[in-house]
Amino acid sequence: MKSLLARLLGAHHGRSLALVLLVLAALLQVWRQEAPLFGLRHLLFDHYQRLHPRDRSAVPALVVDIDEASLVAQGQWPWPRDRVADLVARILAGRPLALGIDILFVEPDRLSPPELARRLPQLPGETLAGLPDPDRRLAQALATGPTVLAVSGVAAALPTARPGGRSVSLVSRGGGGSEGLPAYGAALGSLPALEEAAAGVGLINTPPDRAGGDADLGVLRRLPLAGRIGDALVPALGLEMVRVALGAAALEAQSGLRGLETVGVGDYRLPTRADGQLLLHFGRLAPDRRVSAASVLDGSFAPAGFAGRFVILGLTGVGLVDQVLTPLGEKIPGIDVHAQVIESLLAGDALRRPGWMPALEVGVLLAAGLLLIVALPALRPAYAAGSGAAVAAGLVGAGFAAFVAGGWLFDAATVIALLNPLFILLLGNTLVDADRQRRAAENALQASREAAARDAGELDAARRIQMGLLPDPQALFADESRFRLAARLEPARAVGGDYYECFALDDRRVCFGVGDVSGKGVPASLFMTVAKTLAAALVRRVDDLGEALRQIEVELCRNNPEVLFVTTFIAVLDADSGRLACVCAGHDAPVLRRGPTLLRLAAGDAAGPPVGALGNYPFVAFSRQLEPGDLVCLFTDGVTEATDGRAYYGGDRLLALLAAAPADGPPEALATAIRDDVRSFEAGHPPADDLTVLVLRWDGPAASRPAAAAA
Amino acid sequence: MNLTVRDHPIAFVVAPTGRIDHGSADPFLLALQEVIPTCSAGSRPLILDFSAVQYISSAGLRSLMVAARQIKAAGGRIGIAGVQPLVREVFAIARFELVIPCFEDVDAAARSLA
Repeated sequence: MKSLLARLLGAHHGRSLALVLLVLAALLQVWRQEAPLFGLRHLLFDHYQRLHPRDRSAVPALVVDIDEASLVAQGQWPWPRDRVADLVARILAGRPLALGIDILFVEPDRLSPPELARRLPQLPGETLAGLPDPDRRLAQALATGPTVLAVSGVAAALPTARPGGRSVSLVSRGGGGSEGLPAYGAALGSLPALEEAAAGVGLINTPPDRAGGDADLGVLRRLPLAGRIGDALVPALGLEMVRVALGAAALEAQSGLRGLETVGVGDYRLPTRADGQLLLHFGRLAPDRRVSAASVLDGSFAPAGFAGRFVILGLTGVGLVDQVLTPLGEKIPGIDVHAQVIESLLAGDALRRPGWMPALEVGVLLAAGLLLIVALPALRPAYAAGSGAAVAAGLVGAGFAAFVAGGWLFDAATVIALLNPLFILLLGNTLVDADRQRRAAENALQASREAAARDAGELDAARRIQMGLLPDPQALFADESRFRLAARLEPARAVGGDYYECFALDDRRVCFGVGDVSGKGVPASLFMTVAKTLAAALVRRVDDLGEALRQIEVELCRNNPEVLFVTTFIAVLDADSGRLACVCAGHDAPVLRRGPTLLRLAAGDAAGPPVGALGNYPFVAFSRQLEPGDLVCLFTDGVTEATDGRAYYGGDRLLALLAAAPADGPPEALATAIRDDVRSFEAGHPPADDLTVLVLRWDGPAASRPAAAAA
Repeated sequence: MNLTVRDHPIAFVVAPTGRIDHGSADPFLLALQEVIPTCSAGSRPLILDFSAVQYISSAGLRSLMVAARQIKAAGGRIGIAGVQPLVREVFAIARFELVIPCFEDVDAAARSLA
């Protein structure tokens, strides 16, 4: 008895279980939306970005880079604030649209008067008062242009962190507000005096997606366009720089049912996730966007190069900053991320994964799953295996097309992963079905081969039995000198309806004959066997050949549902006298060759119909007197009706062959010659009927035998 | 081998054409079986018009013999008319006129059998 599982697996080519799997997959996809299976989703989206990175041919933003060369030229970090102030002043001299500074000035400069006073308490107060304050110089420099300082949101209150900070107002449309934005407990920013001098502060948090719990191996795919620190709303550094450049007072957000949809300022806005996170479409690393701080300070880069551009000042020196890994597989410093945010904002280019996308994916999962369930079991195994690959390629291809067209992130990978068990189940069932059919076909073939072999074996046995019934004249009459008899019989099929007969009735008399049962094959051969046996028995018992044949017919017709009949010519030769008694039942008259003369042993009115035709016909025997050397040739219509497809062999060809045969040739050779001539006439045409030839030569009584015949 | 059934006032006339040999004997018998049930005691006789039959083999003779036996068992009558020389030779060898009566032509057969 099949188990429940086996029955489920087998039901409708596994479609029932496949349907259950599909529903489970859809539920899993709905339920596990935020924890995509095996990170496949990110892998797919990252590959889309690698194949189609954001175009960075426009250069709206430059990075002024405090790099290794700058550290070599200006000394180790941190630089004195007045040197930073010089750098800021030089940049601002080029009239950039905005200058963002991705550096936190958390504590006072080491050389600021309060610090010196704390470190060197013995310094007189007037001396301190006369010293320049580097922090003030930086504040003054910041105040001269559209500058934005960095602030980092932190979870816990660090000793240097402050609750809250500068806030920007948010104009929200569509209901929702800033509730979904990431919230931080405290801000890690610059000295209040510096922040007040700057035109704005921007959030620099760029939390990478965690991979396997290890943030260092994480890839940066998204960052918040704004965040909340305490009660304050703080835009991301890039966004704040654009706001400052535009002189706008507030950010603008559009919300929908699921939360935030877009965040931006003025005409520049980007689609976000519901929590305000921007899915960045990264462009490739562009080293030409970097300007070394050293070249700005030593004047080799003219400030005019900053005109009309957004400028971000930051650190890239080794050991100074963390680098982030992008989906493109590049490690870039954090300041580059901000530059990319600005570029994206200005170009309106961001990746989209709106709230309805998961629902679409579930729909696609169900549709593709149903398609597989319906179509796959109906396909041939080779196509079935390919169908899964085709569905997967179609999904990935459609997803990439959507990515290129509008930055849409359609998660084909999870759909494919969830379809996989379904596909394997269906394919497995298809293969099992195919295998079962193949085995059944093999078994059937084997059975038919065995049956054919059995039939062939039985037919072969029947042929051997039938051929065994035919006497061997050479063995029977080996010592006979008065006559010589030869016969040939070749059935058209394995078994046939022809027969010949020869046996000695007593010392003087020999009986011989041929018969041809109507039809061929097994029924004819069985009838032939009965007819031959009956004839042998009755001819021995009944002296008159006509009466013997009548009794044969009566016996044969007792049970003859197939309406078979047999034409036959039976003769009894008195070997001493040469008297030949004959009876003919519908059979072609044998040929008698006497010297050069050919005669037909025609029965005339004595001939009767075929045995079995009428049931009780009074056959009449007739007789002829042979002369020594006479040749009698009995044959069946396998000779005369042999055909080459155009004509019949006919009696004339037989007569011609007999006329041409050597006078003293042995009957065996003549019988073989007739057979060969018929076969060569047929020229490969399959014989239509059994072929039988019987040749008898009477050489006269032993004493008067001619010398030639003894040779 | 073709078989056409002709109208005749006092007989069913069936006219085969061509050769009735090992290949066509079975189809010939099958075609005859369509006509045979209409021939019984008191009905019109079945006359086979052999004027267009060029040759007949022993297999063809068996088909005729089966047909003749069935018709005689049902009390009907059967005859062959217009036998051509080659067929006549085969009939002579087999003494077939003893099995089925043969006539010069259809009218003679109809007159004799009706």
